[in-house]
Amino acid sequence: MHGWLQWLQGPVFWAALCFAVLGLARRLGLAVAQIRGALARAGDRRVGYRAVWRGTVRWLSPAAPLGARPLFGATSALFHLGVIVAPLFLAGHIALIRDAVGLAWPALPNAAATALALAAVVAAVALVIERLASRATRSLSGFQEYALPLVVALPLVTGLLVMHPAWNPAPYEPMLLLHAATADLLLVLVPVTKLSHVALFPVTQLATELAWHFAPDAGAKVGLALGREGEPI
Amino acid sequence: MATRGKFSYYVEPRALQVADRPRKFLAAFAAVLEHGNYAVALDSYARLVARCGRCAASCQLYAVTGEDQDIPCHRSELLLRVYRRYFTTAGLLKARVSGASAFTLTDDYLDRMGEQFYRCTACRRCRVECPLGVDHGLVTHLARWLLAEIDVVPKALVAAVREQLEGAGNTSAVSVAGLKDTCEFLEEELRDTWGVEAKFPFDVEGAEYVFFPAVSDYLLEADTLMGNAAVMHVSGGSWTIGTGNFDGINYGLFYSDRMFERIIRRLIAEVRRLKGRKVLVGECGHATRSAWCIPAYAGADPPEVVNCLEYAWRMLEAGRIPLKPERIPERVTYHDPCNLARVGRITEEPREILKAICADYVEMTPNRTRNYCCGGGGGTVSLDEIRPFRTGLMGRKKAEQIRATGAQLVVAPCANCKKQLREVCEDHGLEGVKVVGLHELLLRAMDFGVAAPAAAAGAGLAAAGDSSPTG
Repeated sequence: MHGWLQWLQGPVFWAALCFAVLGLARRLGLAVAQIRGALARAGDRRVGYRAVWRGTVRWLSPAAPLGARPLFGATSALFHLGVIVAPLFLAGHIALIRDAVGLAWPALPNAAATALALAAVVAAVALVIERLASRATRSLSGFQEYALPLVVALPLVTGLLVMHPAWNPAPYEPMLLLHAATADLLLVLVPVTKLSHVALFPVTQLATELAWHFAPDAGAKVGLALGREGEPI
Repeated sequence: MATRGKFSYYVEPRALQVADRPRKFLAAFAAVLEHGNYAVALDSYARLVARCGRCAASCQLYAVTGEDQDIPCHRSELLLRVYRRYFTTAGLLKARVSGASAFTLTDDYLDRMGEQFYRCTACRRCRVECPLGVDHGLVTHLARWLLAEIDVVPKALVAAVREQLEGAGNTSAVSVAGLKDTCEFLEEELRDTWGVEAKFPFDVEGAEYVFFPAVSDYLLEADTLMGNAAVMHVSGGSWTIGTGNFDGINYGLFYSDRMFERIIRRLIAEVRRLKGRKVLVGECGHATRSAWCIPAYAGADPPEVVNCLEYAWRMLEAGRIPLKPERIPERVTYHDPCNLARVGRITEEPREILKAICADYVEMTPNRTRNYCCGGGGGTVSLDEIRPFRTGLMGRKKAEQIRATGAQLVVAPCANCKKQLREVCEDHGLEGVKVVGLHELLLRAMDFGVAAPAAAAGAGLAAAGDSSPTG
């Protein structure tokens, strides 16, 4: 059991982390290359960067998602808050990282981290229920849409049980094993699913803006490629 | 000859004769991705789309129909699915692994797209609501172009563009003689009814502004045009109408970038011929948005693009448009054309003008960047055959909005919106409501230093329901 745990917390963790970081970096790099290409092709290179920036950071405010679907938006905001803050500022995690690479930063009190993680787990389940409850989202959703919030919640659930033995029906070590395994799984999923928005989020508004910056001879070139250039309308 | 049956709009007969459509569609898709700027957006949409349903909550069509097919995200998925399957490594691999059960682009699927992407006016209201910046209007724009390459495109749009690029030179087939006749008549009307000697100057080389309204205004919106001429007259603006090209309409924006760039280049050529320095766009939303793209096509020293609302407000603010002491008494509200307001580019100028000339100006809500589309955007207003859809479903929210204001006059500074809103009012029993141009009201409010006959108020409104193409 202990060997397995060391393996999951050691080599597997580092491999998963590298996969996530490199995968995201690759995606981001490709996006930047596409953006540069689009800028080079665009006939009018004046881009409304200020509007793009505003359009992007607007969504970082927890109040932003409330507009069109207030309940879903609030649930989503809570979910994001818990998922990001709880694991990153947990004293136990920071200690692990300090021991491994010597980096450290201030931690949240364990009670606060627990509350945030609990909120995120409840929000994850609520997101799935709300998704099912509304006809619009039900018709849009596939397997990923239901599975991902729960997969993201798994390391939080197992983490909570590890931290609070009184709540934990299972022995400590297997639960810690499960915690490490689910966290590793999550890391692997980040770059290959829509979870990659953790890195690509800043790109999407800009991508939309650039798509409207037409390449001046794109039409003629497409006409030529399709052999329709001289064709009467 | 037109054919209906497959689609709710008329298409040309050749649309039904195209063979091997899936392959041709994919070839067009590949070419567009290679030469255009769409890949960067499609790639992030296809990967990240959150399916959160916020776009559904903001769509005026979905709010009325409640049908899954009318959720913006649902519609865009039609194209994104094709993109994922045929243009991403993961999609190609998946198709190889799953073999025969993989998604394949079929004729039926293309027909569905042909129908769906004309149930969206590309108003982009949902874009404001999307946390990931997905612009379903962009997807509609692109999908329509790809569909047009297999000739799935409403007949009304192609016919207008054909007339513009291969026929009379404008979408309404107005001859230069006809144009001059109309303008002479309007000059007389301005003199006799309003007591102002405003002119419509033709082919003046070196004029500061070259004027491009929606050409349909010459047929339908006499009062708006008279207002344009009067504003130029009192403000001492240097302007001209080019007889080589006097149509600001660009239906390329609605169905094909190939046509879009040809039309815009013709417009630039006319400005260059006249040695004009600026493009003055009339009351037309999509013409303005198209003209904003001029810098992309005009090379060095592109002409500046000014919408007539911006010009009028600048002049009014500078005190160069004298106003009568009495204000327009009717209750007036303002409809934001999506193409002017969605990105927040022209929202305040018309309001400032209206507040200055109207005694009872009221807002409809929501407004500005979050306005509701008139329901006839994206060229759909030109499709008379889908009027029940356009006014009954797409325009219902707008009708409710207008009714709630209690306004007698709805100002819509867009040829497209004007026609659509008149039909919306007609079909929703808003009998006391008149749809007018902003310059039409401005004409009423301007002080020409003479006592204008009172009968002029509201005179000469164009008949609603005319089927000529508008912008």
